[in-house]
Amino acid sequence: MPKLTHARSLPVAAVFSPLEGAGRAEIVAKRLSDAIVLGVLPNGERLPSESALAKQLGVATVTAREALETLRRAGLVRTTRGRGGGSFVTYRAGAHDRMLDERLREISRVELRDAAVHYTAIAAMAAELATERATDDDVENLRSLVEGIDSSREDTARRGQASFSLEMAALSQSARLVHEELKLQAEIGALLWMFLREQDYRDRSAVTQRKIVSAMGALDHDLARRLTVRHIESAIEWLIDTKVGLDAEDAQ
Amino acid sequence: MTSTTLMSVEDCAGVVAEFFVSVYARVDEWRGAIEAYTSDRDGTVARSGIDWLVEASVERDLADHRLPIVGAGFVAAPGFVSDAEWHLAWWLGDANTFGIGTDRPAIRRLDTVEDPSSDRFRDYTTLEWWRIPRKTGRRHITGPYVDYLCTDEYTLTLTVPVFSGAEMIGVAGADLYVKDVERALLPPLRAVGPDTTLVNAAGRVLVSTNPHVATGSVVRSASEKGSAPVPCGDTGLFMYGSHQGMR
Repeated sequence: MPKLTHARSLPVAAVFSPLEGAGRAEIVAKRLSDAIVLGVLPNGERLPSESALAKQLGVATVTAREALETLRRAGLVRTTRGRGGGSFVTYRAGAHDRMLDERLREISRVELRDAAVHYTAIAAMAAELATERATDDDVENLRSLVEGIDSSREDTARRGQASFSLEMAALSQSARLVHEELKLQAEIGALLWMFLREQDYRDRSAVTQRKIVSAMGALDHDLARRLTVRHIESAIEWLIDTKVGLDAEDAQ
Repeated sequence: MTSTTLMSVEDCAGVVAEFFVSVYARVDEWRGAIEAYTSDRDGTVARSGIDWLVEASVERDLADHRLPIVGAGFVAAPGFVSDAEWHLAWWLGDANTFGIGTDRPAIRRLDTVEDPSSDRFRDYTTLEWWRIPRKTGRRHITGPYVDYLCTDEYTLTLTVPVFSGAEMIGVAGADLYVKDVERALLPPLRAVGPDTTLVNAAGRVLVSTNPHVATGSVVRSASEKGSAPVPCGDTGLFMYGSHQGMR
């Protein structure tokens, strides 16, 4: 029951959910660095201790230690000793932009598009079901969530988008859609919403979110679905355009 | 195919109410323990004391698998606990798989953020399971809803206001999985007929014998409802009955 947490803690729940399969230090490091870049773990946030982190993610303590070491080297966290010590997130916009650029360079277009297809399947169905199943109160709550998003900054816009998507999944009344949404947000969220770097796209996202809420209020599930699909498409188009630019830089 | 009506909608509504009353009986016992403890200390209660009391109260009920309770505890009104402005004492049962993936769960405490300056903090006094008992002074069922922060599942939350004199000092509550509620209530609904639906106050379906009516969907129009709603005691839930065993 308790949601003693901001709407933001939806994404946080994903960050610290157990890791499946083989993989380990790099996967832990990647998931945490994505969360930092995504703004889910904000500047100054204290990370769980090595042993707590290991327990939450279902990995060995030595793996968690290794992952934290990677984050320290990348300048994403700093660790202090003694009383009140621990590992804290250090947010430096420039470092994060470079990390994401690197991710975008590495990923192929076909992988990028396939990830978008997967995410679209989840988000579009969530939008459709949420529209059918939301009560008037639910729509009002979603509207105030959207109005509360500060789209003048990248980190708050990212966090707002993450909360909005998760709330839509929750309104679908499907626990599985919520799990998928959380998983995909942790996996590709940082990359997918990169266009929120630009004010123009932050404004457009805010407009889209408002239109989706209006469609829900009008019980127009087709429109809510189409708007959701289109929003993800434009995020992917931006990524591919940007990737073209990065590839051209590399070629010089 | 025909089937015979074995139970009237009204009787079934009574069975549904009894099911929730049996859960409320547990929550009321925890509430009573908290109120007595508070009164013994003239209203001054510290975090360690309340945690010990709540754990001792809910532990046995969480371990009792005849009860459908998967989460239980007490959420304090801001400022009530002397050494914690905001405080939650909430335990998860061993059937609750929240946050531990496929591991074998055990009864354990829910981790929460009680520092209002943290980004992860949320003012719980705005949430339905707090807001409604606060407003009405009465117990309330929140949901069904996907609870991604505490059960990871489709959930109902039952909350009861806890008082010290006239002052509300918090809520005691229990989480139930909707799948367990369905298992318990589908048989009596079937005894009414093949188109019997249980909804919450907002019209959201908890369980229905009609294969076309999905749990989680919202019954909006009078034509969908088919008949006048029958309240299930004071639970805030309603039943729509079938057409007398016809198919």
